[in-house]
Amino acid sequence: MLKYFSVGLIAQVLVNSVLLGTMYGITAIGLSLIFGTMRIVFIAQGAVIVFFGYLCYWLFTLFGIDPYLSLIPVVLAALLLGTAFYYGLFKEVAALKDRIGSLLIAVGLMFFLENFMTIAWTPNPRAVVTSYGFYAFKLLGINLTLTRLIGLLIAILATMGVYIFLKKTLIGTAVRAISEDSEASTLMGVNPNRVNIVAFAIGIGLAAVAGINLATTYSFDPAYGFDIAIKALIALTLGGIGKVHGALLGGILLGLIEGFGTYFASSEWAQAICFLVFLLALTFKPYGLFGGTSQKG
Amino acid sequence: MENHLLEVKGVDVLYGDVQAVWDLSIHVDEGAIVALVGANGAGKTTLLKTISGIIHAKRGEILFSGKSLAKLRPQEVVDLGISHVPEGRRLFSTLTVLENLKLGAYPPRARPLFDKSLERAYRLFPVLKERKNQMAGSLSGGEQQMLAIARALMAHPDLLMLDEPSLGLSPLFVRAMFELIFTLNSQEVTILLVEQNIHQALKIAHQAYVLKTGKIAMSGRGEELLANSEVQKAYIGERWGKPRTTSSSSR
Repeated sequence: MLKYFSVGLIAQVLVNSVLLGTMYGITAIGLSLIFGTMRIVFIAQGAVIVFFGYLCYWLFTLFGIDPYLSLIPVVLAALLLGTAFYYGLFKEVAALKDRIGSLLIAVGLMFFLENFMTIAWTPNPRAVVTSYGFYAFKLLGINLTLTRLIGLLIAILATMGVYIFLKKTLIGTAVRAISEDSEASTLMGVNPNRVNIVAFAIGIGLAAVAGINLATTYSFDPAYGFDIAIKALIALTLGGIGKVHGALLGGILLGLIEGFGTYFASSEWAQAICFLVFLLALTFKPYGLFGGTSQKG
Repeated sequence: MENHLLEVKGVDVLYGDVQAVWDLSIHVDEGAIVALVGANGAGKTTLLKTISGIIHAKRGEILFSGKSLAKLRPQEVVDLGISHVPEGRRLFSTLTVLENLKLGAYPPRARPLFDKSLERAYRLFPVLKERKNQMAGSLSGGEQQMLAIARALMAHPDLLMLDEPSLGLSPLFVRAMFELIFTLNSQEVTILLVEQNIHQALKIAHQAYVLKTGKIAMSGRGEELLANSEVQKAYIGERWGKPRTTSSSSR
């Protein structure tokens, strides 16, 4: 039992958990943007992430394109895909007061993607293994592989990028305004369609970033998506909707719970604890652990 | 037939199957203060929302400078020159004062004038300049109302529509509010004012309409309606005790 408490191992679990957490975090930020502006619970986000994981994988396996080089084109493709999703699927339902429609569409999309990937690419697990990926740094007794380090870096840069966009650009401010009060925003002259497109595109862009992280850091298969989406929703609940840093911190917290839960007990227990935390958060702190704001509508 | 800045002609507005406004016609002349008064639920807010394009009339016409507002979406109406300060202010409480003002200048017609509009806003409301980086939700009620109006002015409107600006304000602020409306009007802002504070609204208005259950019960010049005994009995008498008997409505 004592061996559980070796500092080196604990530190390793800590690092890995934080990394897992950042993936949940950037997924949660994407969900937050889409929910904030359109009140859509985009449960398909996890499946989309896995889809981009596959994209990264095939670019690497078939064409030898390094996963980090493919980051830019894949993210650009994601922005276009997000726009397409909005126009093709969600534009009409985004304006409705009844949220069931949008949730059903998201669920439908999730099932479609998952089954499509299973049929097209088989349920066998995949991973992107680069030649330099296993190069590891030893820092204070912790093994930090290059892929994990780059993954962490990308996640942090993506979060900062979204934060700067929301705070410093006019359209980012419009995103925040629409999230708080969509009707009042239109009275300012804000076009909700344009803002929605931007939010959806960025949301899917973040899914692409998470997808590349997923492909390079873990092995994945089509069924992974649902779990990621649920965890991201939990992270969003912990962090409070509408706060970028809250979503990231919520994700990291969840990653830590899952990581340490798996280490000290088992992965099944870790799942159970995650959901218990979810229920407790919903009961006692429904606006997030960091005291977020309530939203109109 | 004179040309009015805003013309509402025979408008019917429904919420689902419930009719809120019946065959309503009003007009607003350029440079005037027009007041819409009446009890709660009389249809005043509904009319403003219809003009703004948030809801659409089932029947009738709304013309602004001769242009029909019928099929326009709210953001297009703002860009034509109509700004609407909604009931309850509806500020973006998680955004700062400055961010709220920036959003006010969102429509294309307002963006090139942003710097001048901001200066003017700060001149009219120095407290907003002091608090420009504070979250809008942390301001006091009176300050929030000032921000709401300043924000609407950032769009450089030809017509400013105010929905119950004195609601929830202390008597001192209420007086300041009406003085502000008067000042803005003297700076050539046409104002359509919806108010429950009938006394003050009628005092200041050039033209006024009394709404009752979605129809116009009375219309006329502000001072006329103020002196009208029916109006006094129905709206002012009960609220304000003995009505003024001398026509002391100074303007």
